Amino acid sequence: MIVFKYVIRFFLSLNTTLWFLGFLLIMLFAGALIMPGKQAFQGLHTVPLFKWLTTQPLTLTWWLWCLIGILSVLTVNTLFCSIESILKKRKVTQWLLLISPQVIHIGFLFMLLAHLFSALGSSQRFVAAREGSVLHISEDSAMQVKGINILVSPRGYISEWEVSVEYLSNGEVFKKDTIKPNQPSIHRGLNVNVKDFRLFPKKTVLLQVSKEPGAVWALTGGILCMAGITILIILKIKKER
Amino acid sequence: MLLLALSFALYLFSLWKRPLLYAGLIFQIAYLVSRGFELGRLPLVGPHDTLVFFTASTVVFSIPFRLILKKNIRFHNTVAIGASFFTAFALTSAQHNAPLPPVLKTLWFEAHVVLAFLSYALFAIAAVLGFVYLDEKNSTVEGMQYRAILIGYCLFTLSIIFGGIWAFLAWGTYWIWTPKELWTSILWIFYSFYLHARLKQWWMGTPLAYLGIAGFAVVLFTYLGVSLLMKSSHSF
Repeated sequence: MIVFKYVIRFFLSLNTTLWFLGFLLIMLFAGALIMPGKQAFQGLHTVPLFKWLTTQPLTLTWWLWCLIGILSVLTVNTLFCSIESILKKRKVTQWLLLISPQVIHIGFLFMLLAHLFSALGSSQRFVAAREGSVLHISEDSAMQVKGINILVSPRGYISEWEVSVEYLSNGEVFKKDTIKPNQPSIHRGLNVNVKDFRLFPKKTVLLQVSKEPGAVWALTGGILCMAGITILIILKIKKER
Repeated sequence: MLLLALSFALYLFSLWKRPLLYAGLIFQIAYLVSRGFELGRLPLVGPHDTLVFFTASTVVFSIPFRLILKKNIRFHNTVAIGASFFTAFALTSAQHNAPLPPVLKTLWFEAHVVLAFLSYALFAIAAVLGFVYLDEKNSTVEGMQYRAILIGYCLFTLSIIFGGIWAFLAWGTYWIWTPKELWTSILWIFYSFYLHARLKQWWMGTPLAYLGIAGFAVVLFTYLGVSLLMKSSHSF
């Protein structure tokens, strides 16, 4: 019982937040020193983080393991503190103002959840394609590049481009789409972007097929954060007046 | 460039005649507007344009604080010296005059960059207020530093969110493991630490003032250090 009380007190404490935010900063500083000089980190985008971590030596990844541990403690700490705050302040006036930091906290937790899902199941691969190329993107479907249109300005810069694609299943077209700048083709959780072009000898595109299972959660977290921030700023300004 | 050189001189001379700071700001804004018309877009790519935007934003944000602090010479002088320094830095940095690649022609990018530099400007003001606090030990100044950091933090968070949405649409992922992203995380966690530390009595006053000053050092490294010293997905 005493241990249970101690654990509860530990996770409800603001000191825990401050200490672990401090540890988090130290680990990020360490990572900022280690990461730029090491070639191994180049491969970090192509496989899920957890899979990558198990294949790399601990001398390179210790700070990432520490980050995961620290963020786990901060997650529980945030949950405990937010729940306590909401329960304590549920009957006070200006409830919205008091609740807005907790909305930001929940948004932050959603973003952590997003990173967890991406660390478990994200993937990225690159495929070079010309007009007419067929790419197998999943077991039962393929994607055919129908057209590559690139607009080059008189000064020689690519000013606009679009790639039209068709999705096929058993040889039948079931979806048509166009990939443009900032407009990927999204199909069954896969995101197809154009990474690079080559105009000569034939128009060729380098397609990036990626899976980001955390994206929806990150967006949810972002929306919650934005809602919390907007309420906080509006109400703080009103209160100041 | 003449407008920018004039704004540099006016910022510097405002150390003797304070209203010249406003004149410098007007010239700097005029320069930014002329760059925008010349390029046909928001001038927010590359160190030259971003330094000008950052400096102008810092001077603009200093105005409400100046109105409260009125005759505070230290606040005015630090803002004027900072504005002169960053304008001089902009004058010596190369302009990015090439048309934007298609991937940068989106509101997500513009919102991401504008919000980031507005937050950097507020963090700069917070650092100046930190210096003023260390000199005067005035709790009003400490409260002003907190407000600058709180609003800066909110804008910075929005900038990160918009950047994530844009990165997902442009490159299929909302997070890329590069030094810029890592330093952005450091900056965000640093100010998260500040905002939480302020809830503890022990941190009030001098420790928080130092944190506000140290935070701007992290801002400078995230903004200029990473771009100039490391390979990153960001060019500024």
